[in-house]
Amino acid sequence: MTYKLLGKNFTPPDIEGKVTGEARYAEDFRKEGMVFARLLTSPLPAGRIVSIDYSEALAMEGVVGILTTEDLPQPAAPANPSLASDEITYLGQPILAVAAVTEQIAENALEKIRIEFERRPFVVDPLDTLVEGGPNPYPKGNTLVRNGGAAAAGTTQSGTDVAEIKWSRDAVNAFRAGRDPGPNVPWGNEWEFGELEAEFAQCTAIVEEPFVTIGQSHHALEARTGMAYWENGRCFFYGSLQSHTIGIPALAGMLGIDPANLVFINENTGGGFGGKIFPYPIMAVTGHLARKVNRPVQLRITREEEFYIGHARAGMQGWLKMGIRADGKVGAIDMIVIGDAGSGGGASGPGAANFVSLMTQPNAMRFRGVSLYTNTTPRAAQRGPGENEMATALSPIYDKAIKMAGLDPVQVRIQNAPDSSGTIGPQRGTLTGSWFPQAIAQGAEMFNWEERKQLSGRRNGTKVTGVGVGMGYHSAGASGYDGLLRIGTDGKIYLHTGVGNLGTYSYAAVVRAAAEALKVEWEDCEIVRGDSSLHLPWSTFQAGSNTMFTEVRTNNAAAQDAIRKLKQIAATDFGGDAAEYDIDGQRVFKISDPAQGLTYAQAAQRAVELGGEYSGQTYPEDLNAITSRSVQGLAGTGLIGVAKDTRHSGTVPSMTVGFMQIELDTMTGKYDIIDYACVADCGTIIHPLGFSQSMHGGGVWGVGLAGYERLVYDPQNGLPANVGLYQAKIPTYLDVPKNTQHGATNIPDPQSPVGSRGVGEPSQGCACAALASAISDAMGGHQFNRAPITADMIVNHVAQLDHFNARNLQTNTF
Amino acid sequence: MTPRLTRRRFIKSVIFSGAALSSGAGFYLASAQTRPSGGVERLVSLSINGRTRRVDVMPQETLAHTLRYKLGLTGTKIGCNRGECGSCTVTINDVTHYACSTLTHSVKGKEVVTVEGLRAADGTLHAVQQAFIDELSPQCGFCTPGQIMSAVALLKTNPRPTRDEARQALSGNLCRCGAYDHYLNGVMRASGQLS
Amino acid sequence: MPAFDNMPDMELYQPVQIDDALALAARLAERGWLVGGGQDTYGWIKDRNKRPEALIDLNGIESLRGVRETENGIEIGALTTLTEVATNPIITQRYALLSKAASVVASPQIRNAGTLAGNLAQDVRCWYYRRGLDCYRAGGNLCYADTPEAQNREHAIFNASRCVAVTPSDTAPALVALEAQMVITSTSGQRVVAAEDFFVGPDVNIESTTVLRDGEILTAVRIPAKWANAEFYYEKVADRNVWDFALVSIAGAMRIEGGNIVESSLVCGAVQCTPRRLTSVERAIQGRPRNEATATMVAGMASQGARPLNQNAFKMPLMDNLVTKLLTA
Repeated sequence: MTYKLLGKNFTPPDIEGKVTGEARYAEDFRKEGMVFARLLTSPLPAGRIVSIDYSEALAMEGVVGILTTEDLPQPAAPANPSLASDEITYLGQPILAVAAVTEQIAENALEKIRIEFERRPFVVDPLDTLVEGGPNPYPKGNTLVRNGGAAAAGTTQSGTDVAEIKWSRDAVNAFRAGRDPGPNVPWGNEWEFGELEAEFAQCTAIVEEPFVTIGQSHHALEARTGMAYWENGRCFFYGSLQSHTIGIPALAGMLGIDPANLVFINENTGGGFGGKIFPYPIMAVTGHLARKVNRPVQLRITREEEFYIGHARAGMQGWLKMGIRADGKVGAIDMIVIGDAGSGGGASGPGAANFVSLMTQPNAMRFRGVSLYTNTTPRAAQRGPGENEMATALSPIYDKAIKMAGLDPVQVRIQNAPDSSGTIGPQRGTLTGSWFPQAIAQGAEMFNWEERKQLSGRRNGTKVTGVGVGMGYHSAGASGYDGLLRIGTDGKIYLHTGVGNLGTYSYAAVVRAAAEALKVEWEDCEIVRGDSSLHLPWSTFQAGSNTMFTEVRTNNAAAQDAIRKLKQIAATDFGGDAAEYDIDGQRVFKISDPAQGLTYAQAAQRAVELGGEYSGQTYPEDLNAITSRSVQGLAGTGLIGVAKDTRHSGTVPSMTVGFMQIELDTMTGKYDIIDYACVADCGTIIHPLGFSQSMHGGGVWGVGLAGYERLVYDPQNGLPANVGLYQAKIPTYLDVPKNTQHGATNIPDPQSPVGSRGVGEPSQGCACAALASAISDAMGGHQFNRAPITADMIVNHVAQLDHFNARNLQTNTF
Repeated sequence: MTPRLTRRRFIKSVIFSGAALSSGAGFYLASAQTRPSGGVERLVSLSINGRTRRVDVMPQETLAHTLRYKLGLTGTKIGCNRGECGSCTVTINDVTHYACSTLTHSVKGKEVVTVEGLRAADGTLHAVQQAFIDELSPQCGFCTPGQIMSAVALLKTNPRPTRDEARQALSGNLCRCGAYDHYLNGVMRASGQLS
Repeated sequence: MPAFDNMPDMELYQPVQIDDALALAARLAERGWLVGGGQDTYGWIKDRNKRPEALIDLNGIESLRGVRETENGIEIGALTTLTEVATNPIITQRYALLSKAASVVASPQIRNAGTLAGNLAQDVRCWYYRRGLDCYRAGGNLCYADTPEAQNREHAIFNASRCVAVTPSDTAPALVALEAQMVITSTSGQRVVAAEDFFVGPDVNIESTTVLRDGEILTAVRIPAKWANAEFYYEKVADRNVWDFALVSIAGAMRIEGGNIVESSLVCGAVQCTPRRLTSVERAIQGRPRNEATATMVAGMASQGARPLNQNAFKMPLMDNLVTKLLTA
């Protein structure tokens, strides 16, 4: 299908502001009388606050107020309170906020606050709390359970509580040594399909490997600063959220107001990566503090604080047993993941298991997992949660099994990759459509795999070449949100969207689906977004590679509603049935006599005159309340296209394959990534440059996950070592692939009206997996069993000091 | 090297009091705290984007702070405030510096250019700005002003850099979105080497 | 533990004459803080882990900048930026070891602001110390990094004495290899110290990595002609290729005559608190060709006597490997 707009590049309206400095992020807004807040954060990883004395601080000149947990509604554990109440569960946890006329005075005031703590034992490695007798990160235990009862107040999941799960010392020791801990240990989550033992018996190549992946910090360059002020019971909140309207009910809830009384301004977001999907606890502090001191408050979050409260990827300590039949078919997989959920948040074992089930389509599979809390930073979704770290862990193990079977890594991946009949997870859920085997073949051709694999192990002085291949996946779509647009009496098309703006430009790419359906010139369209007072619809969260699928559906739904109304108005004016009318050239006209018709401007004017549903006086009852209010706000100003999207069925699989060639210096453990080629099966590419950005950016993130980024806690005092960007080892210009090529199958998803689905997450997974595979290949297939694989580990391996690398599945090692 | 003819020999203490002369948006009013004596004069003239700005500057104040909170120039971003990310990159006498790690008092008598100072008088974007739009270089955009300043400084001394020279020149600017290749495409386009 | 981000009130002095700077340094002593590029200053003060009462900004002192030829080599003003050290024609032509070392410091912006003296006098990067813990170096009485559970991948494998932090400087090993002289000035005069003696370990002074005393300013670095145009090798191995500190670095100068190394000066960075001269290797390779056979002969020699901590044993093979690379490059 050829489109007029889709599949072509365009200039997103926000990009000029980004290159001129005019784009405003939360920290760039000012308001007369604004004061500055700073946080006091916990110096302890676990303990209890006995007393706080802030009288001296409050009396200081320039200090205007202090907010403590007593000013806030209290959620129950493990939900993260905005400010710690009694219990401290991680170092860096916010305890109180001071507002002052300058940040410096606020910090001076922090130095005058005296807090008496009571220490409690803490734990930074999940296996240290899993073992019998090990300390618990929360007073009540170390894991989340669903108790079926009423939702604990303030928790996001209904019927949850903190409980304790323990293994015998022998079981933990066995697991640390890379073995199945045996049959007598409790699990938090387990599932199985197929005949596991029978399938393993059919396999000729069986490998069994442990793995550790650490949970990188998100470290978005824009920390989660917020600014808020109140006017007549309404809160105006300038925040940094990767989503927009979907965050309004939760943010209003935190502030204790009706969503109708919240104006949420979110024009630009300086990166989110999963760490800013939904409103986060510190937003409540900004809002409540502004109300308490009755002045606008900017709560700037520093880099160090962003580390503390900005979340991190969950960590995994795992074990994988994989069997391949002689013909290359993956027969059986048995996997275990002990997930590190930090201080609140969720572990990613189930996502990791779903990933493995989809990518390898085994005949039988078993997953067993435990999600454990630790006294470390709260964890949240991060770019392909579960999937991308598992992609990294899986790739060298898969390679090892394939090598044992004497087969080609790419051919076996193609053979086992899901097509449209593939399934995912324990329920063997269906897919909307998959052409992933073709994508792998396309990538192999782009990379010239057949020739390049011959380079494996080639020596050049102290350097050796490694080639690798990896696969990424994320479920990339949902449905059922609302679409909203307005044709103005000026003839312009106002495309309203409530998705966020985390930098992918997908907010703009998806509204073009409405413009395409309405057959209008892009120059006649204006995107309305960024400020909830501009009447925005209920849109999906901008995360999970969702926007490209989910929001072309809503935009198409709104456009179809507008087209229906255009035709009905024309039929009212010119007679006949609406079906006798068509649209083109920004007119609606009678097919049999195109002279009889209305321009869009005229039709909009008629919509205003006719009222009712045409101009938004009435609207569908199934709309979300936020959309309904927005339609009310727009009523009478033009022709309103508004509709709730229908539901799709099946998982929307966005999948990628990546190939890397590296040259690794065996003397230093350093390597150059010579070439990186990646291909996505993510439906129709509706914005080529945006797609390129996703694939290249995902490549950088992949290098970070597999080769660089750290999350290290000191077991002696619970202190994190990676609060800064250099310590976290965020990849730089000189650490990433020298040449990246990208491509796409460009085959439409059958359940997306324009065929598109997102790729933000899988674009990382294929890169980290390819790098882990390439490093292992350069080292003759050695299994490092760890991500990231760093220079020191490589040096140790070459020097036959592998015992320093294995470290019994410890999470906290540099 | 710039001669410092205008600099006084060992400035004596002049304590500036009162906030009335605080220029720009004025959100950071002079603090009422008493000061030790003997140091620099607080009221200074700065040359920012070709304009002279009078501003009250604390002795320990960083340029990033002055720009953002006293002069309303919020294009310069604070990503880490520790000189590790490059989001606050500005040029001082055409050389790139981290504004978060530069004392405002040290730029007296020097030409500071921020991202807001790149447009031509008629509003035309700088070649780097336009190229960054054409190549869809920014993603979230937070690091973009810093990337632009590094690119502008590079092209001033090396109008036709190789891709690797550009990579080196921009290497002090982190991009968490990983838009490095698109920024390099932008530099190559701005230098007329990509059409 | 609040995450401080704003420098507290302090005084700032901007002398334009060295005499004024010296007078200020003498008067303020430990209450003052000398600022060159400031790139290892503001972080400490923003974190409020160091609290000087006054900053003495030396940037206005023109006499402290630039590269001058002298009778016996060159003299580099202490305030010369790392960018200039990396690109100055005299240095790149005769002492490429130093220009290479300066070119891999941190990032372009830091090299534009950062000075040679600042790179030499910068404080250690031990992350426990930097986080403001009350360790030996901070005046306390314990070390957090030298314990069985510590996160000490980046720490010392030689010459620990209570503190196990390592020298973070990229230019220091090069200057020790070049047998540079440090010119130290104070109100009471000038003293000149060999680079190798300029840096001190925790056994000598646990709170400072150099011999600089309160009131003294490192005003110039002299490089003798001895090693001009010698064969050089420099390599820094760090996690990231930008804005990072060496896991191990090596700087070597070799004089080769008749196909054999007649004299060499080899120094490793980041293995102890000071740049470590590899004297046993230097002796062993004297009179031998710079080749693989010589490398094989001295294999393992550089790391002899190392006492690794629980996470940094890799520094031993890495040191040895860098010697091999130096000899076979």
